[in-house]
Amino acid sequence: MTQAVTAPVLDLSTCDKEPIRTPGSIQPHGFLLTLAPDLTVLQASANLGDWSGVPANAAIGRPLADAIGEEAARRLAPELAADLGQRPFYVGTVTTGNDRHFDVLAHQWDGVINAEFEAVDRAEPADFRHLYPLIGDFLHKVNDSSSIESLAALACQHVRSVTGFGRVLVYRFDADGHGHVMAEARDERYHSYMGQHFPASDIPVQARELYKLSRIRLIQDATYTPAPLVPPLNPVTGKPNDLSFAALRSVSPVHLQYMRNMNTLASMSVSLMVRGELWGLISCHNEGPTPVAFEKRTACEQLGQILALCIESREDAADLQFRLEVRRTMVSMLAGLTQGSDFIENLSSVFPDLLRFARASGVAIMVDDRILTYGDTPEQDDILALVNWLTLHDHGDVFHTDKLSALYPPAERMIRNASGLLAMPISRIHKHYLLWFRPEWVHTIEWAGNPHSKAPAPGAPTQLSPRTSFAAWRETIHGTSLPWHGGEIEMALEFRTALLGIALERAEQMAELAEELGRANKELEAFSYSVSHDLRAPLRHIVGFADLLLESAGSEDAQQRQRFLKNIKDAARLAGKLVDDLLSFSQMGRASLRPTTVDMNDLVAACLDKLALETRGRNIEWDIGPLPTICADPTFLHLAMFNLLSNAVKFTGQRDPAVIRVVAEDHPMETVFHVADNGAGFNMEYVHKLFGVFQRLHRMEDFQGTGIGLANVRRIVERHNGRVWAHAVQGEGATFSFALPKQHPQH
Amino acid sequence: MLKPILLVEDNPNDLELTLIALSKSQLANQVIIVRDGAEALDYLHRRGDYASRPAGNPAVVLLDLKLPKVDGLEVLREIRSTDGLKPLPVVMLTSSKEEQDLVRSYELGVNAYVVKPVDFTEFVRAIADLGIFWAVLNEPPPGSQRYIKPSK
Repeated sequence: MTQAVTAPVLDLSTCDKEPIRTPGSIQPHGFLLTLAPDLTVLQASANLGDWSGVPANAAIGRPLADAIGEEAARRLAPELAADLGQRPFYVGTVTTGNDRHFDVLAHQWDGVINAEFEAVDRAEPADFRHLYPLIGDFLHKVNDSSSIESLAALACQHVRSVTGFGRVLVYRFDADGHGHVMAEARDERYHSYMGQHFPASDIPVQARELYKLSRIRLIQDATYTPAPLVPPLNPVTGKPNDLSFAALRSVSPVHLQYMRNMNTLASMSVSLMVRGELWGLISCHNEGPTPVAFEKRTACEQLGQILALCIESREDAADLQFRLEVRRTMVSMLAGLTQGSDFIENLSSVFPDLLRFARASGVAIMVDDRILTYGDTPEQDDILALVNWLTLHDHGDVFHTDKLSALYPPAERMIRNASGLLAMPISRIHKHYLLWFRPEWVHTIEWAGNPHSKAPAPGAPTQLSPRTSFAAWRETIHGTSLPWHGGEIEMALEFRTALLGIALERAEQMAELAEELGRANKELEAFSYSVSHDLRAPLRHIVGFADLLLESAGSEDAQQRQRFLKNIKDAARLAGKLVDDLLSFSQMGRASLRPTTVDMNDLVAACLDKLALETRGRNIEWDIGPLPTICADPTFLHLAMFNLLSNAVKFTGQRDPAVIRVVAEDHPMETVFHVADNGAGFNMEYVHKLFGVFQRLHRMEDFQGTGIGLANVRRIVERHNGRVWAHAVQGEGATFSFALPKQHPQH
Repeated sequence: MLKPILLVEDNPNDLELTLIALSKSQLANQVIIVRDGAEALDYLHRRGDYASRPAGNPAVVLLDLKLPKVDGLEVLREIRSTDGLKPLPVVMLTSSKEEQDLVRSYELGVNAYVVKPVDFTEFVRAIADLGIFWAVLNEPPPGSQRYIKPSK
């Protein structure tokens, strides 16, 4: 017969540690046998005798038939011998030797076969037929694009009509684990829990875990006396049986007390699993004991699964929609941001978008110690202090809270407009922050009982009483904002990445610009320098020799006079050429390139024509080409090539014969040209000066020139995104080379 | 007793004008002419073509700022960072009125900085003054070459 159970002494603080998977006993509206693979009875629940007439002790170690009768055992043997899963599986309805009928669920777990016998008043197998109209009706309504709330309400009605529970409700868990009743179907005699909250502590952690594993749970009579297993330990494992999946598993005494306090003698809960997480529960209550047959429970479980799927797809769609909206705002903001040159000014020009983006009431941009705000924000000093705090407590890429004052006490005085904060650094180096503020959202939560006073009231009858009151208790929540949506946080991160990208790009542009400006400045300096120096020199010479000429007027030194005159002419010519070169050099910086197809053979031939006058009477061996056709500005390139050829002609002045070669090399990315001569060459020590403006490596009288020719070559080649270099052996010749990229130049 | 002047000048016109100016002050014969910075350093270091010249520094270096290869500022820098050359008086002679050239020259320890006047009369006077001051009036640092004025 039933053995007396000594309830373990529990105090509420140990709720989380209760061994709910291994209670050692079952609910007595059926019996449980654990079987070896050969179907020998290893353990029996102590109430076996009540149901089958065979005392538990008498069944241990005996074949299954001894416990439930020959016929029932024969009927079950093939089913139980099959490979059973770890979830309870309906193996059939049997009639025991004493003519009682049972639905049999079996599963393999913890080293044994758990066979559960639930008493029913029919001999026939369970009838699943009424499952189909129920689910069909629900699916039909699901298609009417109704809200999650109305779907949940519909599920409540269906579950209630199937099971006959007095009250069925759906509640969902929030981020903190508190439950919120969002739908309800009830007999009018039952009071409503609609809209109320249940504290997270009502369902301990390990119970939530079990809800995830085992999706439906029936407690048919909260006043039951548990039937312990005999013997108490699983003979295979030597430990208390793990009854996680057993439908008859006994319930924690604390929970039974909770139910009795709630005036609910029967309860059933169906887990709503969304994206693998326990999203909520369909929870059923009845004042009196309520048996729910296996097939009806199965129907409710199916309904729960469909509801969960609907919730998942609705939430996904809503989430996607939300993210799309936020992204749209972000994209339009970013478009605005890339326009102007001042990054911060740009950000402040999209302030309204920034607010909308994060559904915020205030936004602040902090750059170094400058703060720009928009909308309803805390005072500058408070923002500064807040950013300092954020900087000190590295929160990674983004920081968000809907209750700032709980983390940062000084925020107490900013509760009105800064209860919520979303903040992120927008520079990796500087103290630049973007902050969004959300105002306080004062709201009331209606708790089903005061969650803050869970301890039993003084004089409470038993220390096992977890909750003595379920009367509605209203709590007003202060200091919090609307929570930040996951999509908003993700988009903020994306926004930050984009901002950093823009900033980086800008920095690169600035660097490029600075480099260009630097070069332009240098050239400008060289300009003014040459005006002050190079141009003054020939002018001084003209004046000087003219003076000397005047001085010597009347003297008979005709030779000297001739030389003075020649010097004057040379100096004047040089000055003129200098002015021309300066003009062309400055043009080179301004004029836009007009790249087109250029046959380099033609171009070099044209240069040679132009050089004919200078090379007349010289013995020059030209070794040209074959040269490719490239894409470049023909006018500029002609000038560059002419300068190089003319240089070669100049520096081979003392050679007979002079040999000047022009060759091209084809490379994957660029075409390289070399102009080589057997002339004077130059000292490689000074090669770095070679392409500078107004630099000469030779004395004036050795090789005439203004010192702009090679600077021009470099400028032309670089404007084509190419590069230029030279190599020489003093006294033996020089090779000037330039490479032009094969793509079109962008300038 | 006159001391030699080292004239570093690449431009033939400037060279001729300078020599004319110096000859007007009876100083032309004391001038050693080099044509660029590298040659000037060779002379001062007594190497290359000047390896066999007698020891001793000139009384003054008249240095053109803008020279092929090694420019005037670089010559000046080397003089000021070479033992034995450090005290050598250096006068920068230039066409440039650029302040940065002036500043850099003084930073590097030039003794004087003279912008070549465009007007030839002034140019002659400037060169003559320079020659007389540095080669005649100024007492050069110990170790400078002593020349006996050749008879005319």
